[in-house]
Amino acid sequence: MPDWVEPVARYILEEGLPGTLRVSAIAVTGSALIGVVFGTLLTIRFLPLRGLIRFYIEVFRGLPILVTVFIVYLGLPSISPQLEFTPLTSASIALVLWGSAQVAEATRGAVQSIPRGQHEAASALGFGWVGRHSSVILPQALRRLLPPFVSLLVNIIQNSTLAQVIGGLEILEAGERQSERLTASPPIGIGEIHAAEIFAGVAVLFFLISFPLTRLAATIEKRLI
Amino acid sequence: MLVATYDLWAFVSENRAELLDGLLNTLKVSAFAIVGALFIGLTLGAARAHRIPVVSQLTAVYVEVIRNTPILVQIFLIFYALPQLGILLDQFTVAWLAVMIWGGAFNSENFRAGFEAVSHRHREAGLALGFGRFSTFLNITLPIGGRIALPSSINTYISVVKNTSLMYGIGYAELATTAINISNLTLETKEALTVLGLVYLALVWSLSASIRLLESRLALPESQ
Repeated sequence: MPDWVEPVARYILEEGLPGTLRVSAIAVTGSALIGVVFGTLLTIRFLPLRGLIRFYIEVFRGLPILVTVFIVYLGLPSISPQLEFTPLTSASIALVLWGSAQVAEATRGAVQSIPRGQHEAASALGFGWVGRHSSVILPQALRRLLPPFVSLLVNIIQNSTLAQVIGGLEILEAGERQSERLTASPPIGIGEIHAAEIFAGVAVLFFLISFPLTRLAATIEKRLI
Repeated sequence: MLVATYDLWAFVSENRAELLDGLLNTLKVSAFAIVGALFIGLTLGAARAHRIPVVSQLTAVYVEVIRNTPILVQIFLIFYALPQLGILLDQFTVAWLAVMIWGGAFNSENFRAGFEAVSHRHREAGLALGFGRFSTFLNITLPIGGRIALPSSINTYISVVKNTSLMYGIGYAELATTAINISNLTLETKEALTVLGLVYLALVWSLSASIRLLESRLALPESQ
């Protein structure tokens, strides 16, 4: 293997990979929490609340995620300097906005797929709305949400590359920086172009992370049916 | 000095020509990519549904590779890596090619599912009427399966339109790149983002409204 490979791979795995994992972890957790709450609230017959959540879902599912990233990274600081975030945090917030909209829509479907009798039985046992949902309905709905959750995780991992566009150090940005560095003359670089190998390597890395997860999603889906 | 004003109308009218060019480029890239993705989806989807050897396996690999790698990485590979192999493409070509390859992969899954949903009996009826395999596909599987696949394929086209914004990564002057570049110069960030948000939502929402319309128009008459 040529000499340039090892430091490049090391940088991508040691500096880039943790960025990707951090953004993905925050985005998945935030999306799941907010999405499940919004999706459950969406099943209540209270029009103003429903309208608001619908609007939230339609906007953040409709916008290209890149535009949401710009809104968070460039738009929020232009409103108030306190709302200035680092590129990685901005990308995480944008992915939470998008992901929670996806989860909310899926949760609504899952909650509504729980038979009426479950609600009635829980009410008959004396559960209020919150108790009924948290102890009876959601535990059943969450099982049906498992496959969409895994697909969401895959989508979020892949979309975390959007942080690259605003300079956040994740896998793709790490690869891009290294590919740029190699083109410089020694001692910084080696004066050669290796973009093809580096970006192909980045693609392989993402494939190795995503492929087992998409297989897992397919398996879970088959088992549940 | 940050100017704390917000004048959407002034922003739009001062930069009208550039913004329109950007929008036009977005629409052009989207149109090229959607037509290409439709063609890829129909042919490869049909190959998969009919289990045509070699093509069917290659399509499966193509779909898995595209689905499991980020589209931004695919764009970078086409834009930065191909020149290294001696293939030089201009930004416009990279733009529509990248989203077309991406959309084609998802679309071949849409059409595969659609064609596979066509009942065996319909196909057998075609063969019994003396149609060959190809004319059975053309006259029976395509019209029925195509309709079944239509809503999900339009969903893919919506994603194609949204993904054209990623050309910001390679500096192609579509709508997102144009608006952000203007705002970098004039500091009219809020106005630029408002324009971006409104235009994309208008595009995406009208496309999804068209799905609902088409679904009711093209719904298969209840048989069985």
